[in-house]
Amino acid sequence: MSMLSVRRPTRAVQVGKGVAVVLLLFFTLFPAYWMLVSALDARAGLGTSFLPAEPTLDHFRFVLTEGGFDVFLRNSAVVALATVLVSALLALLAAVAVARFRFRGRLQILLMVLVVQMVPLEALVIPLFVQVRDLQLLETLLGLVVVYVALALPFGIWMLRGFVAAVPVELEEAAYIDGASWGRMFRSVLFPLVAPGLVATSIFSFITAWNEFLFAMTLLGGATDSYTVAIGLRSFFGQFSNQWGAIMAASTLITVPVMVFFILVQRRLASGLTAGAVKG
Amino acid sequence: MSSTLPVTAPAERGTTSAGAGGRRGRSWVARTRPWLLLAPGLVVLVVLMLWPLVRVFLFSLQDYGLPQIVSGEQEWNGVDNYVEVLTSAQLWAVVLPNTIGFAALAVTATVALGTAVAVLLASLGTLWRTVVSSAIMAAWAMPAVTGTYVWIWIFDADRGVFNHVLQTLGLQDQPVNWFTDRWSFYAIVLLNVVHHGFPFVAVTVLAGLLGVPKELLEAAEIDGAGAWRRFFSIIVPQLRQVFAVVIIMSTIWDFKVFAQVYLMPGGAGTNREVLNLGVWSYVESFGQNRYGFGSAIAVLLTVMLLAITVVYVRTILKEDEL
Repeated sequence: MSMLSVRRPTRAVQVGKGVAVVLLLFFTLFPAYWMLVSALDARAGLGTSFLPAEPTLDHFRFVLTEGGFDVFLRNSAVVALATVLVSALLALLAAVAVARFRFRGRLQILLMVLVVQMVPLEALVIPLFVQVRDLQLLETLLGLVVVYVALALPFGIWMLRGFVAAVPVELEEAAYIDGASWGRMFRSVLFPLVAPGLVATSIFSFITAWNEFLFAMTLLGGATDSYTVAIGLRSFFGQFSNQWGAIMAASTLITVPVMVFFILVQRRLASGLTAGAVKG
Repeated sequence: MSSTLPVTAPAERGTTSAGAGGRRGRSWVARTRPWLLLAPGLVVLVVLMLWPLVRVFLFSLQDYGLPQIVSGEQEWNGVDNYVEVLTSAQLWAVVLPNTIGFAALAVTATVALGTAVAVLLASLGTLWRTVVSSAIMAAWAMPAVTGTYVWIWIFDADRGVFNHVLQTLGLQDQPVNWFTDRWSFYAIVLLNVVHHGFPFVAVTVLAGLLGVPKELLEAAEIDGAGAWRRFFSIIVPQLRQVFAVVIIMSTIWDFKVFAQVYLMPGGAGTNREVLNLGVWSYVESFGQNRYGFGSAIAVLLTVMLLAITVVYVRTILKEDEL
């Protein structure tokens, strides 16, 4: 039954909706489907077929051994995890400050956090390239982590601010009445309740670091051993022909963790934060 | 309101006696605590975002190339870079249309499709809503880089599935290279960007739709308002804030499309016809080593985005209390 109409839909409306759903599913899923088919087909790039003509895992095997993707995946995982840990900690502390305290300059800081999210990376890449170069961190994963923490931070603060604000102040006050210090209250009351938000924020920072392309390309330069997955893909573009089977297999390897995380975030965000903590 | 009241920190243990000294210590802790909590994050934002923004502006006033990077010397040349950018035919004939025109098209397409999908989702039963929204999540989750490569592969000149289907259907005799022509190049970018961007709009608008009071829609329907009328007279006004946020966010994202252009064949500067502001700034800086000139282009892009951001911040401020 429709949510936006009280009448029973007519047959024509039903058919129209069915067609719309089919077209939409085709548009949304075809690229992912085509990526998988090509990754699994030994004859990818030699002929066109909508099912793998010769099903094989050879492309994946090639990508993970000779293609060097074992190294790229490890680099990306290291960079993304380091980014998540550091940015989640910094964002949580800052979010508690802006959500729980009233102090002079608070509004200005919130506005700054909001505005820096809009800054185009193309404007930051030139000065940051010079800065990272001066620190002699070009071609290192550490230089990349430092930049990614900064990229993930504004969004993390903004999002966690909402989660912290959603925790009822009554719960904190109850902890104080029971004799807890601020630190104890933070550990035993605030932190567990904000944990779902922290998971969601962490996943967003993970995806930011995992997908990022511009800085990885600029800061890592020719250091193939330090490549992350997003720029590792380019190595399969030959001068004369592109190895489409390998490119699609590598793309699948990059996409799968992101898709898994997206599904996780959805569930987390849907579940109530502190449902039932305050009655009335 | 009560949830945003300040929480005063309790007295530290051992100073529970309500003496004047304890009191002063407590308020000092309460005053500095927010700044202590903020300090690490602020340092990162200032050093890695605000300072670089200042520097890109300073670079844009200099002749800043590889020699200057290596020696660290500064050669100020005033507004020369800006004069060169603003008088360049490239900017007015190619880059600005590619940036603004594309953003306008992409935002329109993304918001229209996303809204249509949200309405469709709201009218589906539970099972199909789950199926369709999962498919949407899959499109959303696809990283921009891999998504771009998949679209390149689909439209590949020699072996792409798109050319293959057109030829099988007899619509064209020979494979077409879709990446050389400016219009078909950006049509593919548009497809890529809309595919990646409409899920955000659909999910956000759907959340808003489900919050529209059902009674309003029922009353309008009983009064004889058709579906279009109900949409434009009830849903759109009710969701004005949601639409404002969705449109502005999409505009900001579509203005700074980078990987989706840069990775396409010819997109990294070899085809001058398809440059947009972001890519132009990047290829002038890192391709030609003209960092000062590239910075001037980057500053232009930043100023345009900042103008949009001001509108965005105003909308947010109206919507919820910071």
